[in-house]
Amino acid sequence: MPKPSDLLQGTLDLLILKTIARKPLHGWGIAKRIQVLSGETLSVGQGSLYPALHRLENQGWICAEWEDSDLGRPAKVYTLTRQGRKQLEHELQSWNRLSSAVQLLIESA
Amino acid sequence: MRSLRIFKQRLRSLLRHSSADAELEREIEIHLQQLTKEGVTSGMTRGEARAMALQEFGSVDRIKEMCRDTRGVSWAQDFLRDLRYGVRTLAASPAFALTAVMTLALGIGANTAIFSIVDAVLLRALPYRDPDQLVLMLNTPLNRPEELQGVSYRDFTEYRKQNRVFSEIAGNAFHDLTLTGAGEPAIVNTAAVTPEVFAVLQTKPLLGRTLQPQDGKPGATPVAVLRENLWRARFGADPRLIGQSINLDMRPFTVVGILPAGFQYPEGAPHPDAWISVMQDPLFGPLTSQPGVRLLGVLGRLKPEISIQQAQAEMSTLGARFAKEFPAEDAGLTIRVQPYRQAVVGNLEPSLFILLSAVGLLLLIVCANIANLLLSKATSRRKELALRIALGASRARIVRQLLTESVLLGLLGGVAGVLVALWAVSSLQPFLPSEVVQISSIHVGGPVLAFALLVSLIATLAFGLAPALLSTSANLQMDLREGGERTGHRGSRHARSFLAVAEISLAMVLLVAGGLLIRSFALVTSVNPGFDPTNIIQAEVSLPQFQYATPRQWLAFSKELLDRLHTQPGLQDSALAAPLPLDRQGQASLPFTIVGNPPLPPGKATSADYTTVSPNYFHVMRIPLLTGRLFSAQDSPSNPNVAIISETLRQRYFPNQNPIGKQMRFGLPPNGNVAREIVGVVGDIRDAALSQKPGAMMYVPFAQTPLYGGEIVVRSNSSQASVAAAIRQTVYSIDKNLPVTDVASFPDTLGRSVSRERFRTFLLGSFSAVALVLAAVGIFGVISYSAAQRTHEIGIRMALGAQRRDVLRLVLAQGAKLALFGLGIGTILALFLSQFIASLLFDISATDPLTFIAVAVILFAVAVIACYIPARRAVRVDPMIALRYQ
Repeated sequence: MPKPSDLLQGTLDLLILKTIARKPLHGWGIAKRIQVLSGETLSVGQGSLYPALHRLENQGWICAEWEDSDLGRPAKVYTLTRQGRKQLEHELQSWNRLSSAVQLLIESA
Repeated sequence: MRSLRIFKQRLRSLLRHSSADAELEREIEIHLQQLTKEGVTSGMTRGEARAMALQEFGSVDRIKEMCRDTRGVSWAQDFLRDLRYGVRTLAASPAFALTAVMTLALGIGANTAIFSIVDAVLLRALPYRDPDQLVLMLNTPLNRPEELQGVSYRDFTEYRKQNRVFSEIAGNAFHDLTLTGAGEPAIVNTAAVTPEVFAVLQTKPLLGRTLQPQDGKPGATPVAVLRENLWRARFGADPRLIGQSINLDMRPFTVVGILPAGFQYPEGAPHPDAWISVMQDPLFGPLTSQPGVRLLGVLGRLKPEISIQQAQAEMSTLGARFAKEFPAEDAGLTIRVQPYRQAVVGNLEPSLFILLSAVGLLLLIVCANIANLLLSKATSRRKELALRIALGASRARIVRQLLTESVLLGLLGGVAGVLVALWAVSSLQPFLPSEVVQISSIHVGGPVLAFALLVSLIATLAFGLAPALLSTSANLQMDLREGGERTGHRGSRHARSFLAVAEISLAMVLLVAGGLLIRSFALVTSVNPGFDPTNIIQAEVSLPQFQYATPRQWLAFSKELLDRLHTQPGLQDSALAAPLPLDRQGQASLPFTIVGNPPLPPGKATSADYTTVSPNYFHVMRIPLLTGRLFSAQDSPSNPNVAIISETLRQRYFPNQNPIGKQMRFGLPPNGNVAREIVGVVGDIRDAALSQKPGAMMYVPFAQTPLYGGEIVVRSNSSQASVAAAIRQTVYSIDKNLPVTDVASFPDTLGRSVSRERFRTFLLGSFSAVALVLAAVGIFGVISYSAAQRTHEIGIRMALGAQRRDVLRLVLAQGAKLALFGLGIGTILALFLSQFIASLLFDISATDPLTFIAVAVILFAVAVIACYIPARRAVRVDPMIALRYQ
């Protein structure tokens, strides 16, 4: 089975963490938010959001509760945990390192 | 914290698998509904919007599967699923399952049974507090360190006073006393000890008390401690026995305590049922005042921080000091300290190690066999596996599934193996060599079960891993196209040939070991012992020493006994002797000097085995007279002392001389310095063991050297029971308080003396028989598989005019090649490994060519026969069918 490349997966994780760092959200909300934030360009295959959410949940970076929501019924709402916050910082740093390295590479090429 | 939460979460998702699935379902459904709603808002119909939502979301099932995979418990669910699947697969091919489980049961069962013996003999802790602190000490001559002797009572008390390494030491000696006054007279195995023994062993009595220091003083009231079994059997477990008096050797002893039946000191020997002070013992008591009589084994408990080496150093120093202080008795002696456990089981270790290695080899063959079965099974499942890989299962996942099936087989085999072991342990018990049984009970308990489980799992890996890896490393397309049935992959074909070769070579090793032991056992049991044991019945009479106190009384009794025996019909051919050949208590080796020879340098004594016999003994035992004369009624106390020597003694100490008329000085203490004239030379006998060369022997007439009892030997055609009854009657007619014990036919005694050899020969023989069968099955499997695969080729050959004979030869040659290869490797392995059993062999070399050749021929023949069956099947195929079989 083809696996998403590590970069893609890492990026998706980063986007999710960043999104729910602002406020707890359900899966639908996260998908929409990523779509809006990325200006519709970085459209994730909507379904592939869920394995990523579940993986992050299992790693203990986010946790989920069924809560009443703006959808008019209870939805599974994801919140960032303390470890998740640390992980987000960590990922942001390495993302910045990577992107500036790539930037450098492209400029000097 | 975090790991705990994750754990809880995983647990929850494992336990409430379905509820987690339902939540996932709901979550996805919400998303889909939102997508659909958006679609509807932008003007689609509900149906269109739903279809678009599904498309945008992606494959719902795949997403769900991916979510489940992240839960991290999927291996457990997979395992359960694989297990269910495995059960179904096994149930679908019951013949395979049965063969595999039964083969495994044999292998695991044999290993578990042998391990249960190892556990009982070597691993289980001895039943004392801190058993590692217990040591046994014996004197040993400085120049013959392998020879062990007792310690004199005087030396014991000195060691006890002067050592600084033991918290306590105690002396003990063992012999039989006659219990009278409680039913029929009986022989009671008695320990004559110094009272400290109970402190050393830290034994608590069941009732009353054990011996105390004042009981060991000279002149103390005689007291006895009985063991529970004697108390139950003889005194109906009556607690009022404490304080009452019983008669041992016709002397009253007050019973002061009862020891639990579980108290079985000393291990590895008959357990004494009565414990008395050595001072009160009729035989040993008077000898305690003689510093030259070394009668005690010394048991010690090390102080907690003292090592065995420190103890040995201290005792060696003391031994050297005593040798200077008491040169008359202790010159040339030192004292050896050895761990008590080693003293008990020391000589069993190599035997058990060999048995354990042999069953290990057997298990390897079993694993090779099952690996072979699994490989051929995996080949027929190739299409199924290829399909699963094509559908996206990873190789690791498939290997895991195949291994799960192996684990299932391994565990089923393990359970069946434990049953086999239980059966084997209970049915082997009567055949176990006596010293094994006496150490501790052999049973399948916790450690043994753990061992069985471990063996099963190791075996599972051994037989399951290679087939699992091989059968998944396939060329996918070829498998799907051809159905995998016929081509057979080079990898797995090689693996199967390799396994067959390995099985044959391992079987060769086991067969050589079994063959060597069987030949050696045949040689031992057919060896001429130097006397004729057939129709000989033996019985022991032991005289109580308080009633029969003097040699004159012993002599009078023996005369009366022999006279009465000789008048009985059927008992004329009888004699009295002590000890008999192959006596369980061993032979009495005594030092001697030859009168007229220069004195021997100190520490260089000559010794020979000593036996006192009535004149008729040589005739009854059919020991031939070589020169001189036998004993006669004239050799009485009033006439000169005489002796008869064995041929070995003559050859060794009277080379090229006529020994008749020469004199030797020897005798049981206190008659060690009596000169005896040699009047005859008789043939050698194997007195110590059938497997040992005949010892040098000195015979003396019973009339000149009487003992307080002896062994009656009768040569008679009547049954053992009637002879025993007649002997009993004769003895009772002289003294109704005398027990007759240890009645046995001499052939039985001979058999018992080789019980250990018989046991290991039987075991290794069975192992090698099983190995032979397994190897045959292994090569049969390989050849029939490859013949089946070559059906097409064989059809072409036959269509082109090949004769059946040629085809037969073709298939057989393939099998023969494997067999020869295996035999070659097996021979090299066996040449190397058989050295380890060299010490167990009698009169045969570990590389005995005859055994090697015979084993190779048998193994080769069996292998070829195993190949012949599939070869015949191959040539019977109709060429037309074979060709069409595409």
